[in-house]
Amino acid sequence: MAKYILKRIILMMVTLLAITLLTFIIMHAVPGGPFTSDRNLPEAVEAQLNAKYNLDQPLMVQYVDYLKGLLRGDFGPSFKYQGKSVNDFIRDGFPVSARLGGVTVLFVLLAALPLGIVAALCNGRWQDILTMTIATIGVTVPSFVVATLLMYIFSYKLGWTPTIGLDSWSSYILPVIALGGYSLSFIARLMRSSLLEVMGQDYIRTARAKGLSETKVVFRHALRNALIPVVTILGSTIANLLTGSFVVEKIFAIPGLGVHFVDSINNRDYTAIMGVTIFYAAFLVAMIFLVDLFYILIDPRIKYE
Amino acid sequence: MEEKKELWAPFVATDEGREKIWSKERSFAQDVWFRFRHKKSALLGLVLIGLSLVFALAGPLMTTRSYSDQTLDYVSIPPWFRVYTMEDGTFLYLTSSMRPIQVAEDGTLGAPLVRIQDDMVTKKITYEYGADVVTVDYSQKPPAILDAAGQRMTAGKMVWNKTYPLGTDNLGRDLLVRLMYGARISLLVAFVAAAINLVIGVLYGGVAGYFGGNVDLVMMRIVDVISTIPLTLYVILIMVVMGQGLHSIIIALSSVYWVDMARVVRGQVLSLKGQEFVYAARTIGSSTGKILLSHLIPNAMGPILVTATMLIPSAIFMEAFLSFIGLGIPAPMASLGTMCNDAIAALRVCPYQLFWPAVAICLIMFAFNFVGDGLRDALDPKLKK
Repeated sequence: MAKYILKRIILMMVTLLAITLLTFIIMHAVPGGPFTSDRNLPEAVEAQLNAKYNLDQPLMVQYVDYLKGLLRGDFGPSFKYQGKSVNDFIRDGFPVSARLGGVTVLFVLLAALPLGIVAALCNGRWQDILTMTIATIGVTVPSFVVATLLMYIFSYKLGWTPTIGLDSWSSYILPVIALGGYSLSFIARLMRSSLLEVMGQDYIRTARAKGLSETKVVFRHALRNALIPVVTILGSTIANLLTGSFVVEKIFAIPGLGVHFVDSINNRDYTAIMGVTIFYAAFLVAMIFLVDLFYILIDPRIKYE
Repeated sequence: MEEKKELWAPFVATDEGREKIWSKERSFAQDVWFRFRHKKSALLGLVLIGLSLVFALAGPLMTTRSYSDQTLDYVSIPPWFRVYTMEDGTFLYLTSSMRPIQVAEDGTLGAPLVRIQDDMVTKKITYEYGADVVTVDYSQKPPAILDAAGQRMTAGKMVWNKTYPLGTDNLGRDLLVRLMYGARISLLVAFVAAAINLVIGVLYGGVAGYFGGNVDLVMMRIVDVISTIPLTLYVILIMVVMGQGLHSIIIALSSVYWVDMARVVRGQVLSLKGQEFVYAARTIGSSTGKILLSHLIPNAMGPILVTATMLIPSAIFMEAFLSFIGLGIPAPMASLGTMCNDAIAALRVCPYQLFWPAVAICLIMFAFNFVGDGLRDALDPKLKK
């Protein structure tokens, strides 16, 4: 087990390093420097500015400096907004995004697992067909279509929920559904197919032959194994929920990190794009790592490896 | 009685027909097609893909309008609307910008009326209408045309827009034409990106799986690292650096999504390379490249095809997503994603502008998902869920 964890930690470190390097290189491939955009500066001034931000150093030195900053938790200054740092963006936006994301993860898990289980246990009956039809729709319809349709129907036409913002509990409903729709459908489908597969195994027949009640068979024996594939994709699901939030935050005008990110893309605020990307990526990699650790707890095969 | 006696006659066995195979001989492709067409959703998906290809490729040939033609007289006109029946039996449609447009009985749009005077105090605008005038009252919401007695009229008759069957957007561009070009761009991006991913993934996975050992180890660790990186972010970064445009979308999409394909191919090659036909090929002196390309990969074609089919909807989705956050195809070109994005600003007034591209995206996504599911079941019945 220790070997497994060590392997995962090394992989995580390599990934993080690759992410910073890749992002750094991509962002420095942009033609022109930070001060070439608006008006022509006198050369001396530009040289001064470059010196101030260490831009006159070789690229390798700049990268190492940037890495050092990242290790201190400093994502550097913003390109476009004077006096604002990328840390400010993250500090403003991330708590909002995390709140929305957290509620969505909870909603997805609480809804998807029961739906998948019901569909699998009623295999072929109307409950199954209904759930799987909805899940197919959920997997295929893009989140921005879901979000705008929901907003049009429930906010504009019926007036039941607020259109924008994230102030009251009712304003969470639409963004959470729009954000979680895909993952919800995906996990429900996965849960169903994996439970169906497990229910056909020999040890389930054994459990039934012992005379266990159906509830016990399902919840004690089948479900624990059926959950493994679901837990495997949980990390990437959280990733999906966070990156998917760009669109949902934009549509519902929620002041989260996603909106800051899209804004900095449209403003071509390169340092902000770089910083937020690295922040997102690091967060997601850490999430996947945590989920993998959790995975050890429920899959004994890894423990004995 | 005679006939019955014959039935009881002893049966004489002959050698003829003993070795004959009575079931119809079917090749692998026929087998796959047999299983595929017995799945209704897969067939439906195939038909939908065919229809959308015809719509996107042949559609623009059948119209003289282009995706960028603006007719500022006809801005944001819905596909169907209510018209005012005037006293002389003609019809007028009042646009959202309070300008009456003459409409023929069958729904063909005519000339807009010429404005004479805008009275800001009483909130009435008068328009020239033949020898007569028409007054629009906007003191109350919604604005309405006044009849001869000065009473507000209500628009009654429902008419389909014959000039623009799907309506126009906020610049007076024909939505039907834009939808055709949009579907064309979206499908083009998806097919090209999927094809490039297919080639990269197959070669990468094939090489890793066939050579095995340290080559495999290093190559698959790289794949591990790439698959942990959130790809959406990198597609966005690449788009930011390369700027908007068709080429950069295709390059961005095709440079990151080959990882799944590489894994699938590697797994297949790994399990195939120990089989006798590979040893046989090696014995007769086939080169490595030949073994890989003409023996191993054709045998792994099933899973490769399924993964490629599933790549297409995710590429379409990604393209729409990029366009939606403002990194997609530059104006005035349209893709389904940019059309959705444009429509959101006017969602409250003109929901139909969002409806068409959204429906188109959903149908295309459904179609490819259905076909992908059907192909998977048909190519490898063991995988059937």
